[in-house]
Amino acid sequence: MTASARPMEKRIQVAGIILIIGLIIEALCLLWARPISFVIFVAVGGLFLFAGVVVFLFSLASAPHVSD
Amino acid sequence: MPHTTTLIILLVLFSAALAGVLVARPGITATRVGKILAFLVLFLLPILCGAMGVSSEMDRSKTTAFCLSCHTMEAYGKSLHIDDPGHLPAAHFQNHRVPADEACYTCHADYALFGTLKVKLHGLRHVYVYYFSTPPAPENIKLYQPFNNRECLHCHLGARSFEEGAVHTTDPATLPAIKSNQLSCMSSGCHEVVHDIANLKTAKFWKEHE
Repeated sequence: MTASARPMEKRIQVAGIILIIGLIIEALCLLWARPISFVIFVAVGGLFLFAGVVVFLFSLASAPHVSD
Repeated sequence: MPHTTTLIILLVLFSAALAGVLVARPGITATRVGKILAFLVLFLLPILCGAMGVSSEMDRSKTTAFCLSCHTMEAYGKSLHIDDPGHLPAAHFQNHRVPADEACYTCHADYALFGTLKVKLHGLRHVYVYYFSTPPAPENIKLYQPFNNRECLHCHLGARSFEEGAVHTTDPATLPAIKSNQLSCMSSGCHEVVHDIANLKTAKFWKEHE
């Protein structure tokens, strides 16, 4: 592992953790059939999923360029 | 719980488990297979889970059970079981003129363009009032706007019982007035008994066979 790879791995870990939280919220909301669960699913779960994906994409965009 | 919802939950949990692998072993993303896995788990699967979940939740929000899960709506659920053919929602529910499992949504959906979005926004307001404000007593709940005949005509327009019904055709001006929403189906004294919550205590109820 190179030193420059570590920040990327750190960001991937952060993205993974955020996504796990979002996915668990979504799973719980799908199990809990109440009107408030619909709101939590979209607002909270959706926010976590969006944030996780953004952090992952940011980790790709900020990865050091490797020339051939 | 519908099978599709169970499958979506399993997919969500599977995605979370795979994300857990990446969190525990981020070093695997250094390989080509690891990069593909990361793209799948941290990008494609969350989007897929979110989209499938929203679709499932939207379908569930149309069910009668969903609407009646709010305490405020219990009286309205009871009114669907009133044993009186003159009671409009009860007659529709009991005779399956509307799908029994989507009874509320079928009549209270706005069938105009963006109607679903409009009623969902109203639903969000209901959730806000239910949890963060004081919901009105069931008998004091009013529609945002007078019930539009369009919602009735979505099913009844073109039906023989509607187009050729004696009361509808006695006066040639009646049908055009109904179709243009100038003569309300409900408030004009024809089908006026709707969700008679105030008299629920004295009503006779139909017992649904299991």
